[in-house]
Amino acid sequence: MVMGLRNDPAVAIAVIVLWALLALFVVYPLVMLLGRVLTDHGTFTTAGLMAVLTDRHQIRAFWNSLLLAVLVGFAGTVLGFLFAFTAARERLPRELITVIDAVVLLPLVSPPFTTAIAMIFSFGPRGLITYDLLGLKGATVYGLTSTLASEVMTYFPIAYLTLRPLLAAIDSNVEGMALSLGASRWRVFRTVTLPLTVPGLANAFLLLFAASLADFATPLILAGNNFPVLPTQAFLQITGLFDLRGGAALSFVLLFPALLVFVLQRYWVSRRYYVTVTGKGAGQTPFDSISPDARAALLAICALVALVIVYFYALLLYASIVVALGANHTLTLQHYRTIFTDGLKAIRDTLIIAAFAMPLGGLYGILLGYLVTKKSFLGRRSMELVSMINYALPGTIVGIAYLIAFNDPPIELAGTALIIIACYIFRYGPTGIRATVALLQQIDKSLEEASQGLGAGSATTFRRVTLPLIMPAFFAGLGVVFIRSMTAISATIFLVSISWTLITVKILENITELSLGPAAAFSVLVVVIVFVVIAIIGRVLHRFRAPGAVSMTNLLGG
Amino acid sequence: MTESVGNRVGVRIDGVSKRFAHRVKGEVYAVREVCLDVRPGEFLTLLGPSGCGKTTTLRMIAGFETPDAGSVHFGERDMTGLPANQRDIGFVFQNYALFPHLSVFENVAYGLRVRGRTDAEIGKSVGDVLALVGLAGYEQQFSGQLSGGEQQRVALARAIVIQPSVLLFDEPLSNLDAKLRVQMRQEIHDLQRRLGITTVYVTHDQEEAMAVSDRIVVMHQGRVMQEGTAEDLYHRPSSQFVAQFVGRVNLVAGRVTEAAGDTARIAALGTMLSVRPSPAGLAPGAPVRLVVRPEAISILRTDAGPLQATVESRTFLGEKIEYVVRCAGEALQVVCYDERRGEVIPPGAAVSLRFGADAVTVLPATLAEDHRDA
Repeated sequence: MVMGLRNDPAVAIAVIVLWALLALFVVYPLVMLLGRVLTDHGTFTTAGLMAVLTDRHQIRAFWNSLLLAVLVGFAGTVLGFLFAFTAARERLPRELITVIDAVVLLPLVSPPFTTAIAMIFSFGPRGLITYDLLGLKGATVYGLTSTLASEVMTYFPIAYLTLRPLLAAIDSNVEGMALSLGASRWRVFRTVTLPLTVPGLANAFLLLFAASLADFATPLILAGNNFPVLPTQAFLQITGLFDLRGGAALSFVLLFPALLVFVLQRYWVSRRYYVTVTGKGAGQTPFDSISPDARAALLAICALVALVIVYFYALLLYASIVVALGANHTLTLQHYRTIFTDGLKAIRDTLIIAAFAMPLGGLYGILLGYLVTKKSFLGRRSMELVSMINYALPGTIVGIAYLIAFNDPPIELAGTALIIIACYIFRYGPTGIRATVALLQQIDKSLEEASQGLGAGSATTFRRVTLPLIMPAFFAGLGVVFIRSMTAISATIFLVSISWTLITVKILENITELSLGPAAAFSVLVVVIVFVVIAIIGRVLHRFRAPGAVSMTNLLGG
Repeated sequence: MTESVGNRVGVRIDGVSKRFAHRVKGEVYAVREVCLDVRPGEFLTLLGPSGCGKTTTLRMIAGFETPDAGSVHFGERDMTGLPANQRDIGFVFQNYALFPHLSVFENVAYGLRVRGRTDAEIGKSVGDVLALVGLAGYEQQFSGQLSGGEQQRVALARAIVIQPSVLLFDEPLSNLDAKLRVQMRQEIHDLQRRLGITTVYVTHDQEEAMAVSDRIVVMHQGRVMQEGTAEDLYHRPSSQFVAQFVGRVNLVAGRVTEAAGDTARIAALGTMLSVRPSPAGLAPGAPVRLVVRPEAISILRTDAGPLQATVESRTFLGEKIEYVVRCAGEALQVVCYDERRGEVIPPGAAVSLRFGADAVTVLPATLAEDHRDA
């Protein structure tokens, strides 16, 4: 194993550099977080942690977080499954699938708060639906229901993207076989299709559970005082009460369910797949697997949900071009003027940070992915595991850990762009790693052997054969880092400063100041930029017709 | 497992057609006006190259595809519009299509559970059928733990345990290695004999078709080219396509000089050949193709005789020797099952050929040409 390194100095250097970076930006912050929670002036103590664990308010926040995550997991998985089943089985025209994909993609590439803002616009005290349409006075939008609805709308696409390829990959003959043995369509679905999807459903549930657990933006806006959740509490503890230790302790509590999900997903769910998703469809279903009634019902549900999403975004767009939605509907561009004057710094900073994080994150993804798949060296598996930590943990934890680790010497990065860029690379680069690993596992060893057999050395083989084949993963990984750099907030809200700020943070400021117009305009801007970049990268990916070329949208699924 | 099924039914397909949208060519016929009549208890094979429409035809019998025209009957019952789950069929897929989340026992039991049998009945039937296919003791295994041949047997057991009125096979052996293929086809043949279930079997392997079937239907480009027993197809092909697809063949151009009674004289290979039985309606002067099987030609080590030839190459294959000889400009394949041990004719040797009148089939050249281009 170590022999390989000695023979290949380039690999050895890469491995050492990557380990150093992982130690600095993944392990070190977590250790510092742990230190802050469990020590006081150099001595070990659980007093800080106990303070949190015995505070009834915080205990409620913990249970609320779990309750919300479980509900979002269930509802989002069901909704995602309905969409996936409709898309995979109804033999819809291609154009319609493209429309579904685009609509479903919207929440995934939007800045946080977008559905939350739309909920307030629609169901708030002066909401379009509650006040204008139904004439309700003093309607309250804040609480579990609206938070749940908003998070389900935001995260169900993850379930859709997880389940659709799985459903498409089920061997249609297996279902045909059940049918030929006399089973009704419903029985085929119940005894064959659904059981084969169970691992995927479990996976989708865990992904949604984790996403909801980590989400602090939606509850911050919608949950209200009566439904506190952990990430929000940690945020308020730090920004409101300037209690870094208390915030760290709260985020530390969040660590356990998050790690449990990560372990379950990695070591339990992934081994229970009956269906191998290769990216290649298993061909047409041998029969109409859905009865006409069920088909109509499914289409109706999906159309309804899609309409709600479209309505939310239309509302957002509308809010950005009227003076004040709900009060004064005169068309105006003043909100855009505001964001391009007062908000220009945030836009510029965000774009600069994204522009640096994007290529570095893409490079990090394929380099680490390539090394852990194709090279054998000591600690190969642990390198992969460590690289996934920042990705798996809720952003609140990562943000607070960075804040603690890099605020003081020896490594003082607070207030710089570098800390935000590093946070993005190590938090969202793992998508590129997974894409690279998945692609490399599909590339048969014989391809590289064929190249060597034709007289090419290992360098030439890498350059001419392997690299072109993993380029799709590079661009997909880079795209995801860019999108997240534009839309993320949970970790980086702790890392912004006067020198470097972000659009998403600006949106939050606007919402808290109740200037919803500029918030809507910022959100529209982000959605537009992200869609343009997705379109460009989609073009690039299309040119690589490599086997199982990764689609970036699928990677956004989790 | 009972030894035979009480109510045997035949399968009748009348003028069945199926069109598909093709990316380049637009609408194309996968199956065109196909008529088949499978007798009760018969083992019928659809044979043809890939894309000939045999699998689509089978899937229409199963109910996985709906014909655009024509009808499918099981016995007197019109099945045309019925979905697969109402046809009482057993289907064996090329990739076996075992339920990956169920054990061998539950795979086989699936159809019985659908039919609402009691646990006791299911236990007995599954046990019996697994013993029948030689998989007793495999009940609790999962498909991932089985070899290709074992999976094939589970698929077979699952299809026959429900005692279907019709058994359908879609290239069931093509994922097995050559030796196992030969063994399994014998087992399928014997099992069908014992159970007597009307069977339609699809394959592209002519040897497999000959080994298992009572009757073979050769398909090409969505149409039936010829149907008959293996002997019929081999010895009396009705078209150049069938002659070439079923076994190896020499096709020799010729012209009719004289047609009288059941004998015709044909000018070919630089000489006159006497051939019988001649197809009806061969007028003198008509161009024809002679179908001559390689093993029907004898090589004589003499330069006397009407068919002079030169040996171009020879291949020793153990029980037989294959030669390519040139005769009047045409290259002919000849297979000799060598009785005179050790006597191999070297390339370049001048020889004379002989083929018996019975060994030659005459096809009208126009028809033959049609099918070559078809």
